[in-house]
Amino acid sequence: MLNEDERAHLAAHIGHYPEPRAGAIYTLQFLQRKYGHLHNEALREASALCGLSITQLEELVSFYPLLLRRPVGRRVLRICDSIACHMAGAPALLDEAVRLSGVPLGQPSADGAVTVLPHVCLGLCDLAPAALLDEAAHGPLDAAALAALVAPENTGGQ
Amino acid sequence: MEAVLSRHFHLPEPPDLKTYGDYRALKAALAQKPADLLDQIGQTALRGYGGAGFPLARKWSAVAADAPRPHYMVINLDETEPGSFKDRKLLYRDPHLIVEAILVGAYIQGSDRAFVFVRGEYAEGAQGLQRAVDEARAAGLVGRNILGSGFSLDIDVHLSAGRYICGEETALLNALEGRRANPRSKPPFPFQQGLWGKPTLINNLETVCQVPGVVLNGVDWFKAQGVNGGEGTKLYSVCGPVKNPGCWELPMGTTARELIYEHAGGLLDGHALTAFLPGGASTAFLLPEHLDASMNFDSVAKLRSRFGTCGIIVLDDQTCPLDFLIAINAFFVRESCGFCTPCRDGLPYAHSILERIEAGQGRPGDREHLLELCAKIAPNSFCAFAPGAVMPMESGLKLFADVIERHIAEGACPWHAVPARRAV
Ligand code: SF4
Ligand code: FES
Repeated sequence: MLNEDERAHLAAHIGHYPEPRAGAIYTLQFLQRKYGHLHNEALREASALCGLSITQLEELVSFYPLLLRRPVGRRVLRICDSIACHMAGAPALLDEAVRLSGVPLGQPSADGAVTVLPHVCLGLCDLAPAALLDEAAHGPLDAAALAALVAPENTGGQ
Repeated sequence: MEAVLSRHFHLPEPPDLKTYGDYRALKAALAQKPADLLDQIGQTALRGYGGAGFPLARKWSAVAADAPRPHYMVINLDETEPGSFKDRKLLYRDPHLIVEAILVGAYIQGSDRAFVFVRGEYAEGAQGLQRAVDEARAAGLVGRNILGSGFSLDIDVHLSAGRYICGEETALLNALEGRRANPRSKPPFPFQQGLWGKPTLINNLETVCQVPGVVLNGVDWFKAQGVNGGEGTKLYSVCGPVKNPGCWELPMGTTARELIYEHAGGLLDGHALTAFLPGGASTAFLLPEHLDASMNFDSVAKLRSRFGTCGIIVLDDQTCPLDFLIAINAFFVRESCGFCTPCRDGLPYAHSILERIEAGQGRPGDREHLLELCAKIAPNSFCAFAPGAVMPMESGLKLFADVIERHIAEGACPWHAVPARRAV
């Protein structure tokens, strides 16, 4: 649950737009940072704050790829598979990431440490093949660099 | 040439306000009338560097003085097109340049409030920009009655939640308003009815960052920065199988040869150039014979491609052109906003044919069928996304006809190196 300060912060943010719904993305991002993903309770809290129905919020969450409706690991690794990264070996890198995390793409690893997702061009084409671990950019990645990224000391797993 | 956009890129950390120095361009601008400044911009060849290339001064003068207030300025920092990462450099390397450029731009445009729309994947950059805005506000450079001039401006940094279509200017407005980023029909144009129905000018980041240089150094200085008929400087970038992929500020008009072989260090050892996309993924291929073309809007348009953001993507002789086309199309399939049928359904359909050919199950006539599809998708779509998406496909299907026909005839990839691909 959001505490009073968090609620006041979000209300102030929403209030500084001409229309409250403009604060929806910020609110959803805030809630996602807090909970890891946007579960039903998070959507209810966002709904109360932004004045949008749950359905209207689902419309946003299902459209924007950085908003996550389902549980993910503590860290999210997004590997780019667009053209520059593709030419630089993204397909093999994704396979390797699946092998390392031990679960199919999109699922939290068994220890809950990491979820690997393919992503479109991250704007890191000069660092191809590139990835984002949460918000931090990494590249160029090879299998060894990838293994270091998803290693327990980096992702907080056991 | 004097580095203006990249003058701080060498610093280990982006400069804070003290290192950045005085907002000299802002002070110079506030000492002049907006109309005079606009006139100076009009004397340069400054155009929109987000891809469309519309003359900047004409855009900035589009909002009538008596149009309903508030007037909004939006910075489009949503580069999501493969090959385009120049604005990232500005965001991560010099946020105060962005703040100063926005202030100067908003003063000239007569805006009341500015929004910087940052793609969600650049979250760390957005935080840095927010810090710069806060620092500038504390110094009296942002907010009410800036430097005692009577000019007021607030700057909002808006972090998006991803998706390429948000970079389309009317879709961006919807995204900023907290809606799905589907494009809006034009007219009314954003300068008539944009954010919350009010006049809104949407600008690419690099374009706006060019303006302080003009204000400080004048029109003649600006013109003298270019080569081969270009004016000013440009953030050029190159990616793909080259030794030194990157982004450099260079004179506008620099040739593709210089970009690929000098700045990007040439192709990886043992690789040779087959073709290149000059302006990001949504442009048509150019060939080695075009290497000496000046990279600017008009000369690339004469070659029937687009200057776009001038983010060159190199295709080498060790990548199957069909594989390259599929990877590009996969991007557009995934990023279509889904609003109109030709784009939402046409691109995946084309994709399934391309993949079938790659899998060795091509049929005679497939290539022609794909060309026909391209010709149907592009003009029948709602926004410029789909025409951009089919540009590399259409030009690739024509330029690499023999390769594609060989895939079909031989039932296999002549490169024998098809990387695993995921469903889109
Ligand atoms: S062309 Fe594509 S991106 Fe543009 S409105 Fe249609 S579906 Fe959306
Ligand atoms: S293509 Fe991978 S970051 Fe741009």
